[in-house]
Amino acid sequence: MPLISVKNIEKTYVIEDVETHAVRDISLEINKGEFVAVMGPSGSGKSTLLHMLGFLDRPTGGEYRFDDRSIDEYSDDELARVRNREMGFVFQAFNLLPRTTVLENVKLPLLYADIPNEEQDTLARKAIEVVGLRDRMHHESSQLSGGEKQRVAIARALVNNPSVIFADEPTGNLDSKSGGQVMEFIEKLHADGNTILLITHETYTAEYAERIIRLKDGLIESDTKVSNRHHTKDHFVK
Amino acid sequence: MRFTNSLKISVGGLRTNKSRSALTILGIVIGITAIILVMSVSQSATDLILAQVQGIGSRTITVEPGREPRGPSEFGAIFTTSLKDREVEAIKNPALVRGVQNVTPTVIGSATILFRGETKNANILGTTPSILSVFKIQPEKGSFFTATDVRSRASVAVIGSEVKKELFGPSDAVGETIKVGTRNFKVIGVFAPLGQKGFFNIDEQVMVPVSAAQRYLLGISHYNFILVEAESEAVVPRVARDIELTLRELHNITDPEKDDFHVTTQADIVERVGTITGILTALLVAVAAISLVVGGIGIMNIMLVSVTERTREIGLRKAVGATKKDILTQFLLESVMLTLVGGAVGIVFGATLSFATSIALSHFLGIVWSFSFPISAAILGFGVAASVGLVFGIYPARQASLKSPIEALRYE
Repeated sequence: MPLISVKNIEKTYVIEDVETHAVRDISLEINKGEFVAVMGPSGSGKSTLLHMLGFLDRPTGGEYRFDDRSIDEYSDDELARVRNREMGFVFQAFNLLPRTTVLENVKLPLLYADIPNEEQDTLARKAIEVVGLRDRMHHESSQLSGGEKQRVAIARALVNNPSVIFADEPTGNLDSKSGGQVMEFIEKLHADGNTILLITHETYTAEYAERIIRLKDGLIESDTKVSNRHHTKDHFVK
Repeated sequence: MRFTNSLKISVGGLRTNKSRSALTILGIVIGITAIILVMSVSQSATDLILAQVQGIGSRTITVEPGREPRGPSEFGAIFTTSLKDREVEAIKNPALVRGVQNVTPTVIGSATILFRGETKNANILGTTPSILSVFKIQPEKGSFFTATDVRSRASVAVIGSEVKKELFGPSDAVGETIKVGTRNFKVIGVFAPLGQKGFFNIDEQVMVPVSAAQRYLLGISHYNFILVEAESEAVVPRVARDIELTLRELHNITDPEKDDFHVTTQADIVERVGTITGILTALLVAVAAISLVVGGIGIMNIMLVSVTERTREIGLRKAVGATKKDILTQFLLESVMLTLVGGAVGIVFGATLSFATSIALSHFLGIVWSFSFPISAAILGFGVAASVGLVFGIYPARQASLKSPIEALRYE
């Protein structure tokens, strides 16, 4: 049974009586443990798709089943709960809380999860160690470099041990060296058994994934396996 | 979500915006300070007035001419001449009024006092020896005039400590002759500094026999008021009632609405003072409350700015699992905490200012102004502050909670 199962999903925005079909008719399945990249030019609907898959937005048509349960069965509060327990997010713009330490930033999802204080601390520290920022634990987010910020965001995404991690252009705001480092950590998460859905418009970055779905004008153009995946350290020879 | 976590999130939010948080609460601080100051100072004022009123003893009943004033237009009635010797004799008659210990007909006025080129404007109190019992005082030097002096219109005077100091300085006053208005009076007694008794500052008085004051100084034959001391506190209401009935009969009055005199007990005065200061306090608190509304609008304004500014933060929080209620709680708690801190600071400021006022008034005006801080003021202060936070915080908090996570995340 796939973790994510989408059938003929649609998203139509109506702005001032003009309909915009951001996602027209997409069907796909993603299994547990898969590393999938979604590619496409801007306006192809890849962010809209990610928002729907990530329970941040509801589709206007079609069916989306997450963990074999339709999104229509969830109330808004339940969507928030699933995002909190089952999903992790990494955004292009990092979206860390300003003037707040790395530790507090990583703890954020745990605050909404009714986890006891001591355990919050242990889990957050563990996640920060995974992305190699133990010595930055008490720095404020603004004191970090772009690459470090994104690693904090990754730690935050994995702190609640989610079923799937959504990464929306995680290297978009980074130079190639720190972008490579970030991809290295994402690849490591996948190697540890995490399900990852990555959005990018860079072919090189997409080729870290096992499978690439290309979108165009709200439709799937192709869905292919990656034959020659990049692996850790590749970026040093780029 | 647990409340402690909500609290932690909100405290964090305020901490990251320290200077703005401080500016935001300024309006609340000022408003609560004003309320606390008003309540505390008027409590002290009430205490002071009551202490002075009670200085003339709870057994004392005051009979004044004219109907009890019920509005500004009726104050003229107190200048009527309805109280004369006939009324005094009637009150003294045990067959008409029972339980009277003494009756003190009194006139008041002011005059320039002259002694060897030194002049002073002083209050004249024309009275009888029983005033000593009413005020519970005795001259420090010399003696008071006697009932015989009153009957014979003797030109003798007993003076208060301030009058003595200004006219005589350190030298002895008893036995000297002073000019009161145009007539010479012999000083036969001097009071020690006694301060306020009832509505009189004894230190500023020149007391003379009532008959002499009427004839030589004021040229009148009526009294400004009659002080009646009852035998005990318990009989005060009955004595007051007897006086009313007696005077009404004497003046052929059947309708109490047409009274040409009024009788006041100390209990009446205490009640009246309480009513007046209560109304004044309420009025001043209401004025101070306006500043709280302004402060509240300030809070709402800043919270709205904050919600817009933190749109991305809200989006992120929702993305990682915050529900609408979590966001609403966060922003509502932020505004309530802001106003509560403002309230606490305001209570401290208000109490400090009130304390400073009490020291300043005691020091510069020489009155015994005691600092009092009603606990009800603190409770009111906190209550009002918290409600301002709730009322003015709910709209911005709702705006925040309604933001869609993706709209919020996309916001630049």
